[in-house]
Amino acid sequence: MFSTELVVQTVISGVMIGVLYALMALGITFIYSIMRMINWAMGEFYMIGSYLQYALVALLLGPDLWWLAIPISAAGVFAFGLVVQWSLLKPIFRKPPEARDDYATVVTLALLLLLRSLATGLAGPNQFSPGSNLPVVMVGPMPLAGARVAAFVFALAALALFYCLLRYSWYGLALRATSQSRIGVQTAGIDVQGVDRIAFGVGVALAGLAGALLAPVFLVYPTNGLITTVKGFEIVVIGGLGSIPGALIAGVLLGLIESLGAAFIDSAYQNIYGFALVLLILVLRPTGLFGERGREA
Amino acid sequence: MRGRRFSTGISLGFLLAGTIAAGVLASGLPAQAQDIGIGLVVPLSPPGDPVGGQLIRRGAELGVETVNAAGGVLGGRKFKLYVEDSQGKPEAGVAAYRRLVSENKVAVVPGFFHSSVAIAANEVANEMGVPTMALQASAAEITSKHYEVAFRTHVVDPVRVSAFMEFIKQKGFKRVSMIAETTDYGIGIADETIAQAKKAGGVEIQKVPFDRTVTDLTPQLLQIKAFKPDLVINIGVGQPLDLIIDQATTIGLLPTTPMLISYDAPVRPQYWKLHPKNGAGLYFIAYFSPKAPLSDIGTAFSKAYVEKYKEDPVYGALNGFGAIAIIAQAINAAKSTDSKALIKTLETGTFKSWPSNPVTFPRASGVYWHNWSAPVLILHYTKPMEDWKEAEVAVQYAPVVPKD
Amino acid sequence: MEPALETIGLFKRFGGLLATNDVSLSVERGEIRGLIGPNGAGKTTLVNLVTGVHAPDAGEVKLGGQSLRGRGMHEIARLGLVRSFQVTRLFGNMTVRENLMTSFLARRDKGESDGAGQTEGMIALTKLGPLADTQAKKLSGGQRALLQMACGFVVPANCYVLDEPFAGINPVIKDAIIDMILDVNRRHRATFLVVSHEMAIIRRLCQQVTVMMEGRVAAQGTLDEVARLPEVIAGYLGKALE
Repeated sequence: MFSTELVVQTVISGVMIGVLYALMALGITFIYSIMRMINWAMGEFYMIGSYLQYALVALLLGPDLWWLAIPISAAGVFAFGLVVQWSLLKPIFRKPPEARDDYATVVTLALLLLLRSLATGLAGPNQFSPGSNLPVVMVGPMPLAGARVAAFVFALAALALFYCLLRYSWYGLALRATSQSRIGVQTAGIDVQGVDRIAFGVGVALAGLAGALLAPVFLVYPTNGLITTVKGFEIVVIGGLGSIPGALIAGVLLGLIESLGAAFIDSAYQNIYGFALVLLILVLRPTGLFGERGREA
Repeated sequence: MRGRRFSTGISLGFLLAGTIAAGVLASGLPAQAQDIGIGLVVPLSPPGDPVGGQLIRRGAELGVETVNAAGGVLGGRKFKLYVEDSQGKPEAGVAAYRRLVSENKVAVVPGFFHSSVAIAANEVANEMGVPTMALQASAAEITSKHYEVAFRTHVVDPVRVSAFMEFIKQKGFKRVSMIAETTDYGIGIADETIAQAKKAGGVEIQKVPFDRTVTDLTPQLLQIKAFKPDLVINIGVGQPLDLIIDQATTIGLLPTTPMLISYDAPVRPQYWKLHPKNGAGLYFIAYFSPKAPLSDIGTAFSKAYVEKYKEDPVYGALNGFGAIAIIAQAINAAKSTDSKALIKTLETGTFKSWPSNPVTFPRASGVYWHNWSAPVLILHYTKPMEDWKEAEVAVQYAPVVPKD
Repeated sequence: MEPALETIGLFKRFGGLLATNDVSLSVERGEIRGLIGPNGAGKTTLVNLVTGVHAPDAGEVKLGGQSLRGRGMHEIARLGLVRSFQVTRLFGNMTVRENLMTSFLARRDKGESDGAGQTEGMIALTKLGPLADTQAKKLSGGQRALLQMACGFVVPANCYVLDEPFAGINPVIKDAIIDMILDVNRRHRATFLVVSHEMAIIRRLCQQVTVMMEGRVAAQGTLDEVARLPEVIAGYLGKALE
């Protein structure tokens, strides 16, 4: 059982999926860090991204232009996120801060159910696949679907772009400042609602991007966002809510633990290993690996 | 659960009885004294599966026409079919059974697509005495309770597994991996396979279970690849089944290692849309193929069906027709429509249905009690985008009822 | 000419407490006005009403004659009314330079410079050079107060409302902040409303002071004038000056 080749293959597979998990979780943690609310419908934005990718590839662009469809799908989810923030979330933020969490939870859970039912109603319960013409790629001893390698590379590029925007652009400065003090940025003259809108759009677009990238790998169906919801929140707890490096490291960690556990302990409990890690972290470090204990209002 | 099902079943039943029976009775002609009533309980509206119900109904209706055109039974008495909608709901199915027996005085109640409906109806049938015949419900409980009234003409899981074993034997496979979802279905089939393989001997089996909600099955498939099997049995249902095919292709398990799918999902049009390139070469369980031989009455029925509906009959329709044919033969043999006589005749006699294997309902052990099924097929897609009707029949396994 | 900052009959009630009760005051352009009064007199509430943190129940605020009714905090800041907080609101995980840069970029006019010059100028002025790349949360209380002030001055505003800028900081930094206030006031004719308990500093900075007691404007005049009023002595200054 413990052949070196199998170990190496399992580690490669775990890291690959871990980076994609991180992409799914990043949006949750990013939106939380700016808006101090949890978007429970994150998985449904992943789902929308995957359907957009399928629709673009299958009906409009064809499988050779899949790479063009990916930014379009992510942009579509971004635009939808702007509309959701403007129509559903902005009114919540006029209420006193104590009530926001509860309202945000109710609104985003309702959105989750609505979007899922809508997907079933519009496209049916069956799964679709946009297909992929990419050849299988050997990564060391590990054969990997071209689409999965492409997803990995795109995900890394998106994470790098996201980091640079946050680090080096004026808007990144405003976003980071907002995550430190919502009152402070308003005093400085920054429209915090505008920042919220962009943050929500970008956050859900990250999930939408993951959905578009993984559409040929994990298929397209109404409840495919469940993986984002489940893994995303596990990662957020492991890495620390609101921590972006935490999301990246926890994503890879989760991918590795699941892969190794499934390969070398018992494959039936693949999902359990992640939960065990979550429980361990909650006991040892309740704020997660990189979580902050508190912050200025 | 059962208590609640029954109380709501009865109260809802009375409510539904008014609405549904009014429609059925208004449309049907008054039964003539010498006519023999046959009930049919099938799902015709959601949350049931209306397509599944409709196919059975078509077959049964054509079956009744055939019997009546040939002069009926017992020297000239005609069949009259009473169709009831179970909506896939146990309580509606129970109410339908009660109505058919007490108002329409039917001799037999075939039908039953959803297992839950068949199980609930059998509880009432056990008291009221008129036999049921489950045509497309596979839960073990339907026959394993050994009710006098409960009959079935559908593939039960041990038969499915026997077909796997037949296939393994024919191909001479020595190492077999199973990737099985951790559901009653997946684990049930995997464990049955292990048990039958142990009995047969000479085959090494690897069981790799997975949780249905997991989407990345690479770790499981890597383990399978490391086992170097001659055959992989894919025991996923729905989306995991498709993920397994794709991810096995990626890591190079497919197409070099043959894969067998545990049910007939690949006959659906969706299959080739999802696997245009890697769907070829796979084997899958099916209950019917136009390439498999039919009996003489099956051939005649198929012709009549094509004429009437402009399409080939599929398993549901064939089984609907077969039930009527079996019932007609049993009534003739019993020379009576009395329930007790009919049950006795069904248990002891040999009948003819749409496939070539003879129909019997022996008082056998376990799920084989009162259970007959058409031969189980293993079909093989030999080229991409192949029509399932053209698929090669790799195995045709006629179930052998184990002797006590 | 319109006053630089004007409040007209401001009322604000929190539950049973009338925090400001018909507060009207007006500050001329280029003036440094002191706002004094005992704790709980409504000074911070007034600052919050002026800068848009709270909306008044009645009355309105005008900046250079323009009504601020219905405007959010960030709009008021962009119109040139900048405030400081009693408890500093800095961006704790960001460096001194990034804090200044954020404040600059938030209020600059589109297409203006990238702020590097202004930011470095402010770092030099506040002598925070060695700490430019230190996270704000690691600064001392005085350094934080200084940085907050610098964030306000990095883009010159028309009007500043400073809530207790000198509370709990050492004399050297106090002098630095006073110098910055006087410098901006002189060079840009910026208007100031300074809330403080430190009478020596108020005396140095302000020609006029407004005294608030129990949510009302109790008196107005030079510090020496108001200090002579019996009710002000009884309610506040008697304690503060001794």
